[in-house]
Amino acid sequence: MAEIKWPEKRRLIGTKVPRLDGPDKATGRARYSQDINRPGMLHALILRSPYAHCRIKSLDLSQAQKAPGVRAIVTVGQVNYTAGRKEGKPGWEFPVSVTDVGRELFYHGDEILAIAADTEEHARDALRLVKIEYEQLPFIVKEETALQKRLGPSTVPGKDASNVLAGGSRTEGDPDGAKKAAEVLVKGTYGVPVITHCCLETHGLVAEWESPKSLTIWCTTQAVPGTAGQLQGFLAGHGITCSVRCITHHMGGGYGSKFGPDIQGQLAAVLALVAKAPVKLFLDRDEEHLAAGNRPSATATVTIGGSRNGTISVFEAASYGTPGVGRAAGVNIGILPYVYEVRNVRISTDIVRLNHGAARAMRAPAHPQNCFITECAVDDFANAAGLDPMEVRLKNLPQNDPAAVTKIPTSFPALRNTIYTDEIRIAAELSQWKKKWHPPGKGPTKGPWKHGIGMALHTWGGAGRADNDVFVTISSDGSVLVQCSTQDLGTGERTVLAIVVAEALGLDPKDLTVVIGESQIGRSTGSGGSTTAPGTAPAALVAAINARDELFRKVAPKLGLKPDDLVLEPNKITDKASGKTFTWRQFCARLGVDTVRGQGNWIPGLSNLGVGGVQVAEVWVDTETGVVRLDKIVAVQDCGMVINKLACESQVAGGVIMGINLAMFEEMIVDEQTGRMVNPDFEFYKLGGMLDMPEIIVHMHDMPERGVIGIGEPPTISTAAAIGNAICNALGVRVPRTPFSPDRVLAALHARK
Amino acid sequence: MSETHPPPGKPGISRRQFLTGTGLGAAATTLLQTSEARTQASKVQAPKTVGFGPNAVACELVVNGARISVQIEPRVTLLDCLRHYMDITGPKRVCDRGTCGACTVLLDGRPIYACTMLALEAQGKKIETPESLYQDGQLHRVPAAFAQYDAQQCGFCTPGFVMAMKGCFDRNPNATPDEVEQCLAGNICRCGTYQQMRDALRSLCKKGG
Repeated sequence: MAEIKWPEKRRLIGTKVPRLDGPDKATGRARYSQDINRPGMLHALILRSPYAHCRIKSLDLSQAQKAPGVRAIVTVGQVNYTAGRKEGKPGWEFPVSVTDVGRELFYHGDEILAIAADTEEHARDALRLVKIEYEQLPFIVKEETALQKRLGPSTVPGKDASNVLAGGSRTEGDPDGAKKAAEVLVKGTYGVPVITHCCLETHGLVAEWESPKSLTIWCTTQAVPGTAGQLQGFLAGHGITCSVRCITHHMGGGYGSKFGPDIQGQLAAVLALVAKAPVKLFLDRDEEHLAAGNRPSATATVTIGGSRNGTISVFEAASYGTPGVGRAAGVNIGILPYVYEVRNVRISTDIVRLNHGAARAMRAPAHPQNCFITECAVDDFANAAGLDPMEVRLKNLPQNDPAAVTKIPTSFPALRNTIYTDEIRIAAELSQWKKKWHPPGKGPTKGPWKHGIGMALHTWGGAGRADNDVFVTISSDGSVLVQCSTQDLGTGERTVLAIVVAEALGLDPKDLTVVIGESQIGRSTGSGGSTTAPGTAPAALVAAINARDELFRKVAPKLGLKPDDLVLEPNKITDKASGKTFTWRQFCARLGVDTVRGQGNWIPGLSNLGVGGVQVAEVWVDTETGVVRLDKIVAVQDCGMVINKLACESQVAGGVIMGINLAMFEEMIVDEQTGRMVNPDFEFYKLGGMLDMPEIIVHMHDMPERGVIGIGEPPTISTAAAIGNAICNALGVRVPRTPFSPDRVLAALHARK
Repeated sequence: MSETHPPPGKPGISRRQFLTGTGLGAAATTLLQTSEARTQASKVQAPKTVGFGPNAVACELVVNGARISVQIEPRVTLLDCLRHYMDITGPKRVCDRGTCGACTVLLDGRPIYACTMLALEAQGKKIETPESLYQDGQLHRVPAAFAQYDAQQCGFCTPGFVMAMKGCFDRNPNATPDEVEQCLAGNICRCGTYQQMRDALRSLCKKGG
């Protein structure tokens, strides 16, 4: 088989193709998991800990069990109770006195049990009838408190003696010597708070047992086969051998928080089994904020120094962040300082564990935090040196790696300096940087309003992965079915597959039927790390070419032609030998009762990894009220070969908007007295609306020679840092923490006086 | 915000009637914890008061031109009635507290949050859900513009935005882009498709809605 490459001339790839499911989604016809209603379906709800840390002293379900409409109650203790295997019984056949009494709960929102009833209203009533006595235990919900009590007893799960874990450290070169030698040395503290994913479709699923051996779930997940597998494993742990099928045709956001069935998936599966009826269990909005994941905070005290001409010679950062009761850090010390090349480095991070919900991966894990910490410091360094921060950025970019240039010229190390330099130039032009940048605090004013402009850079991987199967089936009526078990988080993945297959077969993407989000189709990997398009697009190309070749092999003999003489062009097939042409339909009709099926998996050479990205923010700040008004954001982004320019631009603008939310609005606020999150809603947990949005200019820096690279994560990384730098440029003073709310802006102005 | 508040005028049931019927307004009922107890309470109250519930009562709604009857408890919101009892799932339940707009439907032509109105209150009114904008293969120009300009990603907020925008153009076919944006101020998109929505609404404004 000849080597498979992307076509030299691309008819569809890189153009703007409206997503295939656009009309269905815009008119509510697309069925999300939360929209699935099954005959005889029950509604389930979860009872959660009202306290930040407590122990269940007693649990009485008798009244709840008798409540109208209640069909099943299952506790978290029961689903976690695998010791019962020895007695040949699943955990939920043991009494709660064995499984739950004495169990410790570690945060406001920690799961206790779930109730399934005939209506949601009845399930809600029954939750109130559960009688629980709690023993309240000490808790810590503020990072600074935990850091002060470093050696204090742990209030979080696990056997650690302390709530503060060492997250690692790294030293390179001679930071102390470099600090002494530095002509310009600046110290600052920068931070971002815990924010939550806010998936609009909350976590949850519908679970239905067709037989004791077969479970179907309609689950909102960004890992369709993975979620089915995890649930199967959980059930096997209780001695139940069955197949689990997961269906996710559409999903309402994931952003890194939906990689498995979670506890609600386990509870729903067991409730459905016990009640012998389908069960729908989706979290309410407050539960989503409390228990469905969040992005760790990060705070760093940074010392940055270098020469007056702008070369950075030393970067030190002592940092910490909290994953709540989780264990993953918010700062990645491996990629700090972020993007830039600095010789002398000293980095450390502490993981501060608190009594709130566990962190999960969230769109570019650790990168927005690392970017904010680094890019704020770089601007403060440039300001102290009296230099244009864009010039400082250009000066400190990593060089193209000479070895990579020779060996793998399309790799990121071979291109990084070129990519950033090009993108900074483009961003500077689109934002009129040269004209608009001014020394901090010295820009144009309109009454109390001051103008500012700021820049930040980012990077991401976005590689393709193996284990993604795509199947292309061609029928005698000319129809084409494309199947992959993968999921569409909103990225337009369904349309990515259609574009690639249509390109290869000379068809219109609209003429294809694409079925995704069904675990039984085959293998696919979870949508994490911006890997879905680079993992599946190559597989789709291989599958389409295999299907085409198989079509030629089957039909050519029937026409007295040789497969090798056939050439596929848009909507026609030509025999080079005779010059005879067939339309796609005429040709496929010769299949008769036969069909052809091509299978493809990811192969190397069609995708790549490593992207840059530059963003510029322009703001006006009211020095009397502290209000920040965003004027314009420019985002220049590469992702190798753009497949769908329309969806790509939307991803970048959407990433910018998520970055705007981080910069301006979002913060999980936990009350230190009660240990409860005080804003688990959309009234006091703010997300920007239409009127908060500036003009957003997106420029796709298309590099088709590099192959496909993921786009989901990178564009959200640097927005908050760019806005922070723009505010600093406006005021001449740093607002060190997001969200940049009026009180924080005024506090920073006040601190200067 | 006025775009998304319930329309003025008298609802079908007064707040007083509703509270009396469900027992929420009576001080004594705070002691009655179970549904059975509340059932007893309503039986006692029944001769004296005009009310509904707490058990299921008949509710007939006119949705997208079709009359649909269900048995629901009076506390069921219009949104839950549509989604759970009528299998009309275009309006999404996202915040359930009248802040995000994902459940926006048109009630007698005005956009409202379906999560903040009781289903019984919507009886006798004309309810339009997003599904009405794609019938018999005919796609309404508002969702068509959303699709053309890719003004949606995960799409969970989109039906709400579409209904808010349709309501805006229905009332003012000559709405300017700024006026349409004002009409969308009561809706939230997490994926961040506002820029593409601007492209979509500008294309519609040029056409005069």
